[in-house]
Amino acid sequence: MRADRLLLVFRKDWLEVRRNWEIMAPILIIPLIFCVALPSMILLIPETSSSSNDLEGIIRILPEAVKNEIIGFNDNQIIAYLMLTFIFMPFFLLIPAMASSVIASDSFAGEKERKTIEGLLATPLTDGELMVGKMLVAFVPSMIVTLLSFVVYTALVDILGLSLFGRFVLPTINWLLVILLLAPAVSVTGIAVTVIVSARVKGFREAQQLSVLIIVPIMGLVVGQVLGVLLLVPTVIVILFVIFVIIDIIILKIGLGMFEREEILSRIR
Amino acid sequence: MSGIEAEELSKRFGSLTAVNRLSFEVGTGEIFGLLGPNGSGKTTTVRLLACLIAPSGGSARVAGFDILREPLKVREAVGVLTENPGIYDRLTALENMEFFAEAYGLRNKVERDTRIRELFEFFDLWERRGDKAGTFSKGMRQKLAIAKAVVHSPEVLFLDEPSSGLDPKAAKDIRDLMERMSRQEKQTIILCTHNLEEAERLCSRVMIIKKGSPLAMGSIEELQKKLRGAPELEIGIAGVEDGLLKKAAKLRGVNSMKPGKGGVLIFDLDDAEVRTPDIVEELVKAGARVKSVNIIRPTLEDTYLELTKEGSR
Repeated sequence: MRADRLLLVFRKDWLEVRRNWEIMAPILIIPLIFCVALPSMILLIPETSSSSNDLEGIIRILPEAVKNEIIGFNDNQIIAYLMLTFIFMPFFLLIPAMASSVIASDSFAGEKERKTIEGLLATPLTDGELMVGKMLVAFVPSMIVTLLSFVVYTALVDILGLSLFGRFVLPTINWLLVILLLAPAVSVTGIAVTVIVSARVKGFREAQQLSVLIIVPIMGLVVGQVLGVLLLVPTVIVILFVIFVIIDIIILKIGLGMFEREEILSRIR
Repeated sequence: MSGIEAEELSKRFGSLTAVNRLSFEVGTGEIFGLLGPNGSGKTTTVRLLACLIAPSGGSARVAGFDILREPLKVREAVGVLTENPGIYDRLTALENMEFFAEAYGLRNKVERDTRIRELFEFFDLWERRGDKAGTFSKGMRQKLAIAKAVVHSPEVLFLDEPSSGLDPKAAKDIRDLMERMSRQEKQTIILCTHNLEEAERLCSRVMIIKKGSPLAMGSIEELQKKLRGAPELEIGIAGVEDGLLKKAAKLRGVNSMKPGKGGVLIFDLDDAEVRTPDIVEELVKAGARVKSVNIIRPTLEDTYLELTKEGSR
């Protein structure tokens, strides 16, 4: 597998993707909702309605480091703090998953729909170069969008929350680990699965419908965080990262093994 | 060395046999026509030889490389114009060409740019190089598709309906390009086409296939002779009389003679080219007033239609 050829596939696909608003719009809109709407919703609505009993239950299951952070906060401050720095964290795993799923679904299925796939498969680019190049074009923009969303979210939370908390509350080590370690690993899982699916279905829509399944485990993390069953603290994040990296390697190997030009050509409408 | 050597090449998709034990050789620099009705297996044969799909049986060497053991080498050595132009509508013509040139291994930028410019100028696309391919007419898209297929000067070129959608001038340009590539650059060309006139004009040999099996292979002349025999001689005569008909049928070298419409006599001769002057002279001596003389050769179209008509094979 040659790096210059991976970049060649990446460059070609990126030129196509960035000129396709059907693909670019969801990539930009979803992160905008997450990074702007979520902090605005919490910090611009003044009162919350949780009882002190509910709050005590939540605080009890928090790690010590977080408990120390909220010492001296009133109920409203605690709720806002927990929402902004804890509960919303796994939502940022959805950004790369959803952004990349649109591009990854289009990877091979889009070429089949536009009838360009045969010319591409006829080139001397290897199976690995084609597959990894296609994955790269889904991975890079989705991670850029995720990082930008995180920067915007952090800035909004710190600016809008300064009067409420009296200090900047983000970024935390948990957030940095989620964005820099877990998000890329989860993103690769989603992309690899979606690219494999995209190569084996006839059209973009079919690929996208199947790729939505990748959101299920991420929603599991969201629910786990909300219910306090699986809190994203540094140890958990690193363990999850290792698990996802292992899954990524396995999926990539399976995907490369399954990649067959003939199979792809047989799925042209 | 042969450009292509196929030995018992077969491809089955489940119970359907798309290509059935095709064996043929195409010499270096030869233009070889692959003819047959829709669904006859032409595209599958090209896909097998271009290493896009694997054969179910048999083997082949393309540009000296084995399609089973060296598929990457084969893909580097061949250019393919598929049924669909396969160009990226959201990329400009230049971006399309740069991508395929690099994918086919033209890594040197100066060399790449020179080759792209040469092809764009040949196809009258230079002025439109910065326009998105999606804005191009069908003919321009076809030209761009051919340009991308030949950008790396492949040793073997597979062209599926290259003149489809082109105006007469552009179609002639493509034919000239094919002839130049074959004669001067010794590139082997496999031409899949329904345009029999084009095949007749360009191909040194053709193979007619139907339902994946070869029906006939050889030069155009060989196929014509094989199917329809020797050319016939048609002589138009003013005022044909019974006496003249009897004399004409007995002329030397005439195997048979039948009257046609409008005073035309149709002669079956062993060698029409050689015998025609004598026949005309003898008819004139016998009192015939000759209006016209034509040697009628069966066309490739006649041969093709005869071979591929329902019920044959």
